[in-house]
Parts: sequence; C-alpha cells; structure tokens
Amino acid sequence: MDSILRAAGMYVALMLLFRVAGRRSLADLTTFDFVLLLIIGEATQQALLGEDFSFTNAILVIATLIVLDVGLSLAKLNAKPLARLLDGHATLVVEQGRFLHSRMRRARLTEDDILESARDSQGIERVEQIKFAIVERNGKLSIIPQE
Amino acid sequence: MDDDELLSRHYPVEEDMRMQQRVWRYERVGWWCLVLMVLLALVGLFGNGPLSDATATSSDGRVQVEYQRLSRSGTTDNLRITVRGMSGEPVMVLLGGSLLREASIETLQPEPQASLSHGKALLLQLGTSRDGIATLYLTLRSEHVGTLEGVVRAGPSSTVRFSTFLYP
Repeated sequence: MDSILRAAGMYVALMLLFRVAGRRSLADLTTFDFVLLLIIGEATQQALLGEDFSFTNAILVIATLIVLDVGLSLAKLNAKPLARLLDGHATLVVEQGRFLHSRMRRARLTEDDILESARDSQGIERVEQIKFAIVERNGKLSIIPQE
Repeated sequence: MDDDELLSRHYPVEEDMRMQQRVWRYERVGWWCLVLMVLLALVGLFGNGPLSDATATSSDGRVQVEYQRLSRSGTTDNLRITVRGMSGEPVMVLLGGSLLREASIETLQPEPQASLSHGKALLLQLGTSRDGIATLYLTLRSEHVGTLEGVVRAGPSSTVRFSTFLYP
C-alpha cells in the first residue's frame, strides 16, 4: 500500500517542483540539463522504491504513475479550466519585430535566446524579420517570420 | 510591467495574461520557498544540524542523552547515552519508550555486560570507566513517520525523556 502512496506523493511533489522551475527550464536540453535530469531521477528512485526492490513493487509504482498521468490527461480533456491551469497558455514574446521585454524577463528569456532560436529554425538574422515569437506551453520557442 | 504588454493578445494565440502573471508569480514565490527550504535544511530542520542536535539531562544530572530532535524515516541516527555511576561498579540502564520499540537498534557499542528484557523495555548492564562514567553509543533506524518517545532510566530520579520527530 505504501508504495502506491509514495508514487502518488512523488508525482504531485514533482509536478509542483517542475512548475516552479518553469516551462523553459528543460525545453532545450543541454548536456548539463540532461545530467541534472538523471540526478533528479536517481534521487527520486530511492524514495519511490524504498527498501523494497521486488518486481511487484516496481510494477505497482509504474502502474500508479501511469494511472495518474493518463487520468490527469483524461481529466484535462473533459475540463478545460483544469487543462488551462496545468498546461498554461502560450505567450507572445516578440510582436511585429518588437521584443516584449517585461514578458521576456518574467519568462527568463534573453534577446539572444530568441534570436538563436530564430536563426536555428527560420534562418532569421534580425528581430525585425520576426513577426511573432511565441513561448509554447511546453516551453519551446516558435518563430513566425514576416512575410 | 508595461501596460501594453499586460494586455492579452488574441492572435496568433489566445493569451490569458492574468493567468500567466499568476503562473510567473507562482514560479517566483516557489523559487523563494525552495531557497528557504534549502537554508532550513542547512540549519537542520530536516535533521543533522544545529536545529536538530539536542541533549537531554536527567534532573539529578546523572544521565545525559544526545539525540536528534528531527530526523527522517529510514535513516540511521546516532544516540549517545552517558551515565555517571560509581567507579568500577557497573550501572543498570533501562531503555524504553516508543522510539526503542519502533526503531531497530543497528549497532550498540560498547557491548553491554548483560542485556535483559524488562517488560517492553530493555535493561542493560554497562561497565564504567575509572571515573565512574559509562557511555553507550547506539545507531537506530526506523521506518516510522511521526513522533517517537524515548526513555532512558538509571535509577528512580535519573530518568531522561526525549522525543524525535521523523519526517516521511
């Protein structure tokens, strides 16, 4: 029984913690982010499994996590406000070639981040060539160039 | 924030800036909460630090127990018990309370001269050094969550009660 509670508790705790980290944090995974993610996984694993390394316990923990994850996505399907709350909204950070600086600051984005993403995805050189830059719900940057 | 930037855009995406600001505030406040948590952990709110290290002494001063006020379930904790007796004569120490019932004693050093059960408690006979002091080092581990009470007794007026809170 306690492995179910552990898994559920960890699911909620991780959700709250990653919400604090913000959607941008792990969007563009650098090598360092990847290592950090592995360490987080390692730290979680101990608390999830406890002293019990049995096959049954592992299956129970995995089943609990999947039940919660699928259940949450089903709930989001049926309740739009819940989906809005959990997934957030997309946010504009460049509008008609103009940086929206205070929004960028809150989203912890620099001009360089946006220009880098623009070069990478659209081959854009200057901010004037960007019509819209949008921080998507998953933290990725979408760039729409000027026609 | 710029007033214009606060307005929700409707194209190319539907925005909700009030909600978004709440999300940003949550991130900011959450970050400070995490900083606070790390600092509190450093001073020992979750065990092993100045806030957690504690010493309890019996009313006549014969028994002294060094323990952790706060700890986590599943970790090992050190407990040091010092008893003042007569030089060369062994002392009898009774260990009881929910702490010693719930937790398993992983190590007990030095080995007592005799170890007996006394109801639900444990009665140990310890040898003393030349200055009449007997010291017992224990490491305890418990899977319990919540408060556990420990009782160490070495005579009618030499009782020490202490409690440890275990986080999940």
